[in-house]
Amino acid sequence: MTEDLPLTPEQEDQALAAELALGLLDGPEAEAAVARLSTDLAFAQLVRDWQERLAALAESLTPVMAPARARQGIRERLGHSAAPLSEDPAAPSGWWRGPWAVLAGLLAVAVLAAILVLPALPGREAPAPAGPDYRAELLSEDQALRVSARVEGREMEIALESGPAAAGRDYEIWWIEPDGSAPISIGLVPRTGNLRMALPAGLEPSDAIRIALSDEPEGGSPTGQATGPVVAIASLTPS
Amino acid sequence: MTDVRRTELEQLIARVALGDRDAFDQIYEATSAKLHAVCLSVLKDRPEAEETLQEVYIRIWQNASRYAANGLSPMTWLITIARNRAIDRLRARSSRPATAPAEAAECVPCDAPGPEHAAIHAQQRRLLDECLAQLAAPQAHAVRAVYLEGVTYADLAKREGMPINTVRSWLRRSLLRLKDCVSQ
Repeated sequence: MTEDLPLTPEQEDQALAAELALGLLDGPEAEAAVARLSTDLAFAQLVRDWQERLAALAESLTPVMAPARARQGIRERLGHSAAPLSEDPAAPSGWWRGPWAVLAGLLAVAVLAAILVLPALPGREAPAPAGPDYRAELLSEDQALRVSARVEGREMEIALESGPAAAGRDYEIWWIEPDGSAPISIGLVPRTGNLRMALPAGLEPSDAIRIALSDEPEGGSPTGQATGPVVAIASLTPS
Repeated sequence: MTDVRRTELEQLIARVALGDRDAFDQIYEATSAKLHAVCLSVLKDRPEAEETLQEVYIRIWQNASRYAANGLSPMTWLITIARNRAIDRLRARSSRPATAPAEAAECVPCDAPGPEHAAIHAQQRRLLDECLAQLAAPQAHAVRAVYLEGVTYADLAKREGMPINTVRSWLRRSLLRLKDCVSQ
């Protein structure tokens, strides 16, 4: 293909299909191309082929976990969520799957109640019936920031113990695989209290995993990659 | 997400089409971090990306029944929905004239492509990076920026200091070269 030659009609169709898939057309040209989709099956196939080809670009993006409230928001907007606290939005869906739903639901409430109530009870030195599988204590160099991470099954809990982020900043939590792949954002350190989340598929807790905190603008890194300095890092250790 | 196979995702989408909330949860768990990354890449703003992600999954729930008819691989369908919603939002933000509702293509009827089609697509995916590397750097960069950041011809023209028509013919030829390379 030489730069000077005009495009052949086939090439014109290909280029138009690519532009439609990319959202580069506007005005009457866009309307005409969209209208053509429903009458010209071959053209529609060209557009789909471009969508397939281009989606590979997105596959290379580093996954960024959305906060649990996004999922809760979706459930609420679809009318899927029951009354507040009747189920734990952060619990992995496996808990209430299938015929065990009612039992699992009750169990989830019991677990939630245990978590809410236990710390207030005296004699909590007694070992918990089921402790976390892994934990990590994240400590900044000056020891001002202390964050603890606990993983139990597919559930992760992050607690800020001291040193909340400065105004207008947030600490972002990263999951780092041993293979050198890009860190995966799993959320922000809560300013108070605990953050509980289900680990997304593909993240397998083990003692080879490291958890890091980076200093980011409020709301987290705008790019999905760490932009600020890493202030604390620790390995998951079995417990 | 890589451990969720294409057929598994297809089955999950088919179950969502029947109103299966458990399947919907599984799709969310398997794909939300990737789709969130797509929204973030385009919008570069956490709260907006999070809001868009919610719209994306609402759309997935509502449109799952039309998925089987559109002939896209499941991940492409999900990524395309996320990208298009994010770009709609990006353009609404800058009150740019709306461009083609590319999502119209999400629901195009088609003569069902067979499994050989899927194999071709898998192959094309592996090749895409290789073929992008064969384009000149500014062209490869432009293709990525248009797809992953919602850059328009006007943006590219400004960035390259060239008239829109020049940029357009330059990008179209790059896209054609990319396609030729990938389908070789």
